[in-house]
Amino acid sequence: MTALAAAPRFVAPRFASGEPSAHATGTTARQFPLNAPIPLPLPVPALRSAGETRIPLIDRRRNLLLTAKARILCLGLAFLALAVVAVLRLAWLGVVQPASTEQSMAEALLPPRAELTDRNGVVLARAFPAYALWYNPQALEDSGPPLVKGARQVARELVAIFPDMDEAELTRTLASGKRGYLRRRVLPEDANRVLEIGELALELPQENDRHYPQGTLAAHVLGYVKDGEGHVGMEDALQARLADPAHRNEPVALSIDARVQGALEDELSRGMRLVDAVGGAGIVLDVDTGEVMAMASLPAFDPNHMDAAAQALVFNKVTNQVYELGSTFKPLTVAAAIDAGVITDISRRWQAARPLQMGRFRIRDSHFIGASLNAPEALMHSSNIVTAQIADELGPARMKDAMARLGFNARPYIELPARGFPIWPSGEWPRLRAMTVAYGHGVAVTPLHLAAAYATMVNGGIWRPATLRKLAPGQAPQGRRVFKEATSARMNQLLRLISTRGTGRKGDAPGFRIGGKTGSAEKPGAGGYRRTTLVATFAAAFPMDNPRYVVIAMLDEPKGTAASSFQRTAAWNAAPIVGRLVPRIGPMLGVMPDDNREVDLSDLNPLIHGGKE
Amino acid sequence: MSAARPYVPRPGIRQAPTVQFPRTRRQRLRIWWQEIDRPLLAMVLALMALGALAVAAASPASARRLSGSEGTLPDLYFFYLHLQFQLLGLVVLIATSFLSLPLIRRGSIVLTGIMLLMLVLVPLIGSEVNGARRWLNLGIRFQPSEFLKPVFLITVAWVLSWRLRDPDLPVIGVSAGLLALVVGLLMLQPNLGDAILFTGAWFVLVLLAGLPLKRIGMLGGAGLAALIVAYLTYDNARHRIDSFLGGGTAYDQVDLARRTIMNGGWTGSGLWLGRRKMMLPEAHTDYIFSVIGEEFGLLVCAGVVLVYLAIVLRVVQRMIGEDNLFTLLSATGLIALFGGQAFINMLVNLQLFPSKGMTLPLVSYGGSSTIAQCFLVGLLLAITRRNPFVEREGLPGMEHQR
Repeated sequence: MTALAAAPRFVAPRFASGEPSAHATGTTARQFPLNAPIPLPLPVPALRSAGETRIPLIDRRRNLLLTAKARILCLGLAFLALAVVAVLRLAWLGVVQPASTEQSMAEALLPPRAELTDRNGVVLARAFPAYALWYNPQALEDSGPPLVKGARQVARELVAIFPDMDEAELTRTLASGKRGYLRRRVLPEDANRVLEIGELALELPQENDRHYPQGTLAAHVLGYVKDGEGHVGMEDALQARLADPAHRNEPVALSIDARVQGALEDELSRGMRLVDAVGGAGIVLDVDTGEVMAMASLPAFDPNHMDAAAQALVFNKVTNQVYELGSTFKPLTVAAAIDAGVITDISRRWQAARPLQMGRFRIRDSHFIGASLNAPEALMHSSNIVTAQIADELGPARMKDAMARLGFNARPYIELPARGFPIWPSGEWPRLRAMTVAYGHGVAVTPLHLAAAYATMVNGGIWRPATLRKLAPGQAPQGRRVFKEATSARMNQLLRLISTRGTGRKGDAPGFRIGGKTGSAEKPGAGGYRRTTLVATFAAAFPMDNPRYVVIAMLDEPKGTAASSFQRTAAWNAAPIVGRLVPRIGPMLGVMPDDNREVDLSDLNPLIHGGKE
Repeated sequence: MSAARPYVPRPGIRQAPTVQFPRTRRQRLRIWWQEIDRPLLAMVLALMALGALAVAAASPASARRLSGSEGTLPDLYFFYLHLQFQLLGLVVLIATSFLSLPLIRRGSIVLTGIMLLMLVLVPLIGSEVNGARRWLNLGIRFQPSEFLKPVFLITVAWVLSWRLRDPDLPVIGVSAGLLALVVGLLMLQPNLGDAILFTGAWFVLVLLAGLPLKRIGMLGGAGLAALIVAYLTYDNARHRIDSFLGGGTAYDQVDLARRTIMNGGWTGSGLWLGRRKMMLPEAHTDYIFSVIGEEFGLLVCAGVVLVYLAIVLRVVQRMIGEDNLFTLLSATGLIALFGGQAFINMLVNLQLFPSKGMTLPLVSYGGSSTIAQCFLVGLLLAITRRNPFVEREGLPGMEHQR
């Protein structure tokens, strides 16, 4: 025993005294199943001396340590897994959470979304914090009924506050126990009255709302906001700018003029109702800068009340709907022909007596105009036969090129998100294609395309992209030249001639020197064009002695009514709209009526047969 | 040296002191510096620095919350108190890390006895805060269970290491009895969180001591059953677990913590610029991780998680190369306790665990807890001290690396 005292401390005296070591090793093997990697060199328990019993003890110590270390590794792995879970959760929080945008009082005072104004600072869309009425059946936090007073009673009290709500429907909603909005917009005093009902389930969360003080005015230009996201109009196009905390306190000025917009919508809807049209579109465009002064697509919707009916009307006819715009293309064809040197002599005449037979296709006029016509007469009386011959001389390649340079082969240039792609035949055009495009069939574009092309034609020949952002003086885009200045000057004369002596007479207004071209295109239907279903357009510019604005008025499917002398063509329905509109908007836009100014038509007048001198 | 005769023990003759180790204070300090786990020390100090910063961030929230008609607390009230506690804790930490292994063993056994006695006294004369009697007022108010944790684990490690001497000793049974006593006393307070921590750390220890897999499963089942019993009998726990499973209600503690931690984004709002923390109860203790999230950002939160992980893995790595079972068991027990508490707290803040009254070790404000955690880390440093020039027996295949 004394010798053993000096032995290493893990040698227990009990073993040294001769305990059967078989028992000890057996225990070891049973208790440490994790020792598998190390085969146990168990000795045969025959020898019982002190020296022999130490070997299993050393093994046990080693095995115990090995087990412990293997399990320590497991512990480390468990903590590693916990840390991975925590870091993943942090990443999840970081990615999913809405970025906190308001950190300071100054930012809290900012509007949640920048305002939109017209070019003169009239507010068109403003942000203001409002209350909503939210029904939370779990608010009482017990499993009892959600309302203290009962659904019927609460519905009655709510209808007393909001008379436009339906009591029966409200009772059903409250009784159903489903949470949801009862009302999206609640005034502060009404919110107080709702609180006085004393139902915890009626919650009044503060929400940032968008208000359009002008109602339906310029609805398609503005669009609407739902859950912080802009839709349809400039609310969508400028989403990032409007929601940007750095710029939220600066309103965004649009190019439109609220007064012009109001006049346009007024005249357009009046004209629409007079002839019972299904829709209307109008645009007023600054020819020198490309700024849109007004843009209307009727029927309009009210962005303050976006419901299913309003949702059906958000389609913008000015920028998104493509039409075959008919005879309004004729001045563009003539301009292209003059520009290309096809018409060098404005008095040159083409036959107009016989329809043109191109294979099985026949081009004819609506009525017999004359045996032969020159270009001014063809435009005045809107002769398909003559325009088609001019285009034929110009040739399909040059015709296609001229139309492409006017931007008819791409979506219109404007900020709005919804822009229609024109129906634009690709590849080499056949002769017939050029001839039909000459009078506005075979290529379908949006009214905005047409406005930009007319602006190009009258402003000296420069094409510029249209914009809805107000441009500072001198910021107008450079644009690209499409027509020579001389061509543009000649076209101004011709356009003026049409509205003084041709089909556009009803579109003229005394003193405003309007020039414009009518267009009445048959709408394509099943199995060809439908003779009685028209798209009537009047594309005009004023004042023609120094053109400043292009005005397009378009009516979809006008009917013949007493107001239009039972006619369906543009001269009787679309042109009068412009004739009434320009005197209203001219002074607002700085164009005063002046009887002492006029386009010099003295070189064209002698060429016109008949008509008034 | 050949002239020296080997020592043969004889009655009445003591071994002559042979080699005298350097004993001046300077030399002992140098040896301490050589033997101590310096990366571990550095990480712990970094964590404490971050804790000071975090308490500075959370202090205004709690100070304003606790101010009332009886008087107002200055905004940085808890910060300055915390600095004092941290200073005291550092002294405890360094002093503890100088202790030798036998002294730690003996001291722990004695301290376990004393703390158990105090734990018995707590339900009788303890002071009550938030519906639980956990504090003992002996001149200064302190929580015996905080100090019991490390010494209890060392005692259990000592009991389990008896197994080296005699595999027949019912070491697991003895340690389980000790644990049952402690858990029973804790549940009188009641203090379910600490009871779970004690049980968890004890479970890690018996695992390491070679508990067979079958018994592991049985113990796991027993633990689950105990939790269910606690759930059925202990109102506070039932409410918390219910709200964790059922999603809770708007603006309860968990919801407020979620709003706080999500408010700062990746990079946080900046020191003292957080707003959500002002509505958070226990911002400076249980939910300090959320305050870190708001003011310093989620990236710093991830950094905190990684520091705790690094501390745990550092100790694990060092213990892999350890060949003294008692050292191995006690160090692992301590680190399991430390890491377990840290991760439970962080997971509670991340809404991945039912809320527990548990602080973030070394970071949260708290007198008892700061000093007790410093004591724990000091013990850990002392236990893992190692002569860098002595070769050790590691896992098979590790020898050639040294």
